[in-house]
Amino acid sequence: MTDFRGLLEALSAAKVDFVIVGGLASTAHGSARLTRDIDIVYARSADNLKRLVAALAPHRPYLRGAPPGLPFLWDDATIQRGLNFTLTTTLGDIDLLGEIAGGGRFEDLISHTVELEMFGLACRCIDLPTLIHVKRAAGRPKDLEVLAELEALLEERDDR
Amino acid sequence: MSPPLGPDPVIEAYKKDVDRTLLRANLRRTVTERIEALIELQKLADEARRAGKRAKPNR
Repeated sequence: MTDFRGLLEALSAAKVDFVIVGGLASTAHGSARLTRDIDIVYARSADNLKRLVAALAPHRPYLRGAPPGLPFLWDDATIQRGLNFTLTTTLGDIDLLGEIAGGGRFEDLISHTVELEMFGLACRCIDLPTLIHVKRAAGRPKDLEVLAELEALLEERDDR
Repeated sequence: MSPPLGPDPVIEAYKKDVDRTLLRANLRRTVTERIEALIELQKLADEARRAGKRAKPNR
């Protein structure tokens, strides 16, 4: 099971620039659906890659679903060479996204976020209209029910 | 950021089946309470999965 608090604390303590997207963002906005990992869009600056590496290194990140023993090195050079990483850690699963369809990179998304308090931490989370936008842009049939719930949440929230 | 998308009739059709009572209850919670409810849901799902694996088929 994913230790949401532990992962968020690790990222926050290392001062990683990131935005929460995906299922955890849906939950934060009021979704009742089950999600099992954390998806974040992280800033690709050299300093931030170092902070991201430092934040997760104690929790032994490895490529999720890959066979053991691959020469996967958790360092900023590895992140620099790639963009999106689906990882498993001792705290649970986390997806590190350099960019997302319909939303772009961290710098594009930051003005479409809200600061939410999670476990006493101030966390940047994609705002609900933008979350709906990027899920629609992704165009995955499995997201249709999710999208219906998120749009209903937006209506309910606006009615309050 | 790409331009805004208009209403989608497929999503509108799915929306009719959304349990809004559950959503209203969630909106009354704090963000942390919503995540704690998710963690409880994860535990329940994991226990149900384990129970399924333990179950012996009826003969």
